[in-house]
Amino acid sequence: MDKDKALEELFLTQKPHFSDKADFMAALTKRLDAVEYIKQQQEATIRRYKMMMVAAFVVGVISGSASIAYMLSTPTDMPLFTFHVQTEFFLWLSANSRVLTATALSLLMTLGIFSIISNVQDILRMRVCLRAKK
Amino acid sequence: MTREVFIAQVEREQEALRSFLLALCCGNKSDADDLAQDALVKAYLSSAGYQDKRKFRSWLFKIAYNTFLNHKASLRSTESIEEARTLTSSTSADSEFEHQDLYLALRTLPPKERSAITLFYLNGYNIKEIAKITETSEDAIKKQLSRGRDKLREQLRMNNG
Repeated sequence: MDKDKALEELFLTQKPHFSDKADFMAALTKRLDAVEYIKQQQEATIRRYKMMMVAAFVVGVISGSASIAYMLSTPTDMPLFTFHVQTEFFLWLSANSRVLTATALSLLMTLGIFSIISNVQDILRMRVCLRAKK
Repeated sequence: MTREVFIAQVEREQEALRSFLLALCCGNKSDADDLAQDALVKAYLSSAGYQDKRKFRSWLFKIAYNTFLNHKASLRSTESIEEARTLTSSTSADSEFEHQDLYLALRTLPPKERSAITLFYLNGYNIKEIAKITETSEDAIKKQLSRGRDKLREQLRMNNG
């Protein structure tokens, strides 16, 4: 397509000249500093989340293993815990201590898994946000 | 691309970018500079993965063009109010650029035609390059240029006559 000479000339003659180039660059540098700060904060939050997740995982594995090891090391015909108070309810607790401990451990593990999944989702969401901003 | 390299590149290209956005904003310098800053921040955030330094200007223009279109879309609901305000202010204020014939005429073009015309005549891009920047087909660009040129000529004639 050929250029319209008159239009081209008009664009050339009315080409703007900017006298505030330094101010523009200074404003841009300021904005970039702010962006860098936010980026660093978000990355630090992601790192913190990861650390928390690792810590939760380690604590979960150690306490879970210890509890299971304790359960397996005690004789099966002996309750895992007993109470000095001899009421019907506490006796029932002692009698079913093995089942109750296993249930509590399962619940804790489920909770741990849910919290890990939710943390992973949070991290992924933050990463997507960071990438979208990029 | 490091921050220093990015700033050095922008320093070289800022005038072309600001001229482009100034034409798209029909001479409204504060709007054009705000959009330029927004576009440059977006470019900076995605500059880590950007390698091709030869096409840096086209890449910046592409981001600026999209930023302009997004800005226009977000303003669509308040456009009539803005237009009324512009009409009122155009009788009193006299800024450096806003009342140049060219910008007044550009104001009558739809954003896409305005972009194609500006990239073609002001920034010297060819049809293929404009199609890449605006992510449109070359045929569509040809139509936009042809239609925009006719409207612009007509408007300039009216403004001068």
